[in-house]
Amino acid sequence: MSFLRGGSTPGGGVNHERMEMAINEIEMITDVFNRIVGSCHSKCISTRYAEGDLNKGESVCIDRCVAKFFEVNKKVGEKMQNAGANASPATGASSFSL
Amino acid sequence: MDFSQFNSAEQAHMTKVIEKKQMQDFLRMYSNLVERCFNSCCNDFTSKALSSKEEQCVMNCADKFLKHSERVGQRFAELNAESMGPAKP
Repeated sequence: MSFLRGGSTPGGGVNHERMEMAINEIEMITDVFNRIVGSCHSKCISTRYAEGDLNKGESVCIDRCVAKFFEVNKKVGEKMQNAGANASPATGASSFSL
Repeated sequence: MDFSQFNSAEQAHMTKVIEKKQMQDFLRMYSNLVERCFNSCCNDFTSKALSSKEEQCVMNCADKFLKHSERVGQRFAELNAESMGPAKP
């Protein structure tokens, strides 16, 4: 059973560690999505609410807003990874070790 | 999020967890939307009842937000698939 790497559960059992990781991933993605909805709404949609449909300008703004958010997400992720990699040899202790 | 590695017991559990999260998310979005539309549209408290202007504003607000959320969802799914796709062998 090569797919049950982390746990020692038998074939119909439940591997809690991997499920925890999957659940964490889902939570993270949901959080990012909710933030994008909130941010792009504040930036792109005027609060006059003259009509119930998105006009062309708002639609284009939303597309660009989501794309930019992903870019920023990626760049910040890279920066944090570099910062983590640089910090550990320098200080000898990372923030995750207890 | 690759579910092909989970066996059926795990998949059943994951499905339940995801359903619960979706319900919680929906309720959160609902109260967030109510607050948002109230804050934007209802600023005149000379009367207890909603004026027709305020009511129309709230309708438009809710409509717009839902369409906005849908569009963000579409773009999000596209970009997410794109950023995860090339990484897989």
